[in-house]
Amino acid sequence: MFSEDTILLFYEITDVIIAGLSTGSVYALMAVGMTLVYGVTKAFNFAYGDFFNMGGYFAWILIFGIGFQFGGYLAVLVIVLPLMFAVGYGLEKLMIAPLRKRADWENKVMMLTLGLALFLTSLYTVVFGVKMKSLPPILEGTLEVGQLVFGYQDIMIFVMSLGGILLFGWLLNNTRIGMAVKAVAQNPIGAKIVGIPKERIFASTFAISTVMVGFGGILLSQKWFINPMSGGTIMIKAWVVTAFGGMGSIRGGLYAAFIIGMLEAFVGWLFGMSYGIIALFILLLATLALRPQGLMGKGD
Amino acid sequence: MRLKHMAIIIGVAYGIMAVLPLFVGDIRFIMNIMIMCLIWAVVASCWDVMMGFAGIFSFGQVAFFVMGGYCSGILAIEYHVPPVLSILIAGLFTAGMGVLVGLPCLKLAGPYVALVTFGVHMALQPTLRGEIGLALGTGGSVGLLTIPPISIYGYTFSSTNIVPTFYLTLFVSLTCALIIMFAIKSYWGVAFLALKDSQDFAMSLGISAFKYKLMVFALTSFLTGIIGAYYGHFYGVLSFRMLDLDLFSILMVMMLVGGLGHFPGAILGAFLVVAGSELMAPLGAYRAVTMGALVVILVLALPNGIMGPFLRRLENRSPTG
Repeated sequence: MFSEDTILLFYEITDVIIAGLSTGSVYALMAVGMTLVYGVTKAFNFAYGDFFNMGGYFAWILIFGIGFQFGGYLAVLVIVLPLMFAVGYGLEKLMIAPLRKRADWENKVMMLTLGLALFLTSLYTVVFGVKMKSLPPILEGTLEVGQLVFGYQDIMIFVMSLGGILLFGWLLNNTRIGMAVKAVAQNPIGAKIVGIPKERIFASTFAISTVMVGFGGILLSQKWFINPMSGGTIMIKAWVVTAFGGMGSIRGGLYAAFIIGMLEAFVGWLFGMSYGIIALFILLLATLALRPQGLMGKGD
Repeated sequence: MRLKHMAIIIGVAYGIMAVLPLFVGDIRFIMNIMIMCLIWAVVASCWDVMMGFAGIFSFGQVAFFVMGGYCSGILAIEYHVPPVLSILIAGLFTAGMGVLVGLPCLKLAGPYVALVTFGVHMALQPTLRGEIGLALGTGGSVGLLTIPPISIYGYTFSSTNIVPTFYLTLFVSLTCALIIMFAIKSYWGVAFLALKDSQDFAMSLGISAFKYKLMVFALTSFLTGIIGAYYGHFYGVLSFRMLDLDLFSILMVMMLVGGLGHFPGAILGAFLVVAGSELMAPLGAYRAVTMGALVVILVLALPNGIMGPFLRRLENRSPTG
């Protein structure tokens, strides 16, 4: 019924879709973290992509630097994620909290985090070298359904990042601290009046977003590589997803992440990987021109 | 700051620069550094006008610089346009690009503007490097290697006769600085400031946000493009590596040392930072790390730059100024 070429093309497209789904799920994770921190603290973090690499490098140190054999990725996650939380919390307290008292602090935060991004990028280059590092796949092997081949790695990435988002959503809606975060996002002054420690919530939110992007870094660095210079590009991607989905809308971010993951996979397949960022940029401009509040965002 | 104070600071800074070749004119290395000081002073000031005066959070200034350089270089190499003309065309080209980038930014707030302009910066490198760039004549991953030097009436300004080249750079840089100074102190500049402080109130007084914000984009990208083109003709080579983050962070340090929104400060900042970064050369790869850390420290500790304490004294003396 179909010619040989059509069937081959079909398999190729399936591969591209799988790649799009697994990167898309990690983008969703990153976009949720970004939406959260911007929605709650109004601080825009330019070093977001470098925290992505930080997660990757921490995992790399544990696996290759120390030679961590025991427990595999589970142990890596157990150690790295709390570490990312501590880094995020400390940085917020040390750098962003003092700026909050000044006039025009949102812009100052942008400059500061951009400086932090430059610092981390060059620090990674100095410490780990310009050469890209690779992480071993979380699970080897493939799953074959008829003629279709799915890598376990892709499936695991998809499952783990979706699991991460769901867990986060549950925490936000069902725990005391999650509700406190939502309260601060809705009305900071009101939250303070009812006795929610605003500063601590800000720092925790920042730290949680660091954890999420670090987790994304560990997952996605297995497929890509850890590139010390890639922080800026990753930050832009996470932000395009966030803006496309609508700032502050977690569900919009989810849809946008999969759309953009697909778009990138298809553009990469058709034209070459380096066009991915150009395509994203065009999409961003189109979004901002036609629907500035994003896919699911509420207008001002 | 008053026009008089601005003029004095600019005059003293450029005056010292103009005298220095009498002492170090035969040391090529130092002359090169001084030319760099003058070039970066213009880029840092343009960026300062954008961020500090107009309050538009643009991170695309380096991209405009590189666009200007490439535009003029391609015109001179491929179409044999005389450099003086090609520099002007490059300026107009980047001004056009500035307006194009500015248009979507007009409606956007804070982080969106920063991200769109940073996106221009990030998307420019694959464009210059890839097939689109090759088709335009950017030389792909090699870059432009044979940009002809500037020549006026048969006299060639290149690094072989560095002292005249230095004075030409001084002239170009000073002209740009004066244009910026008068722009800030003119009706335009007041309009920029009013829009920055309260856009709604300024618009209620009849200041068109649309017109003036586009003007800021056009003016700063025009000057940045011109100086970028000049840089290309002076160096003779251009590569997309300029878009790496090193240059970006050094420029940010210049602006922060000078203080955001304290105009001649950016010029002093550029002079200090270029010289300082040469002194830091023995640090090697750690120089970039230091620059990044400096941005963080400066934002936290020195919000008004080196001009801050000086300005406070001025304000104390004349409360109306």
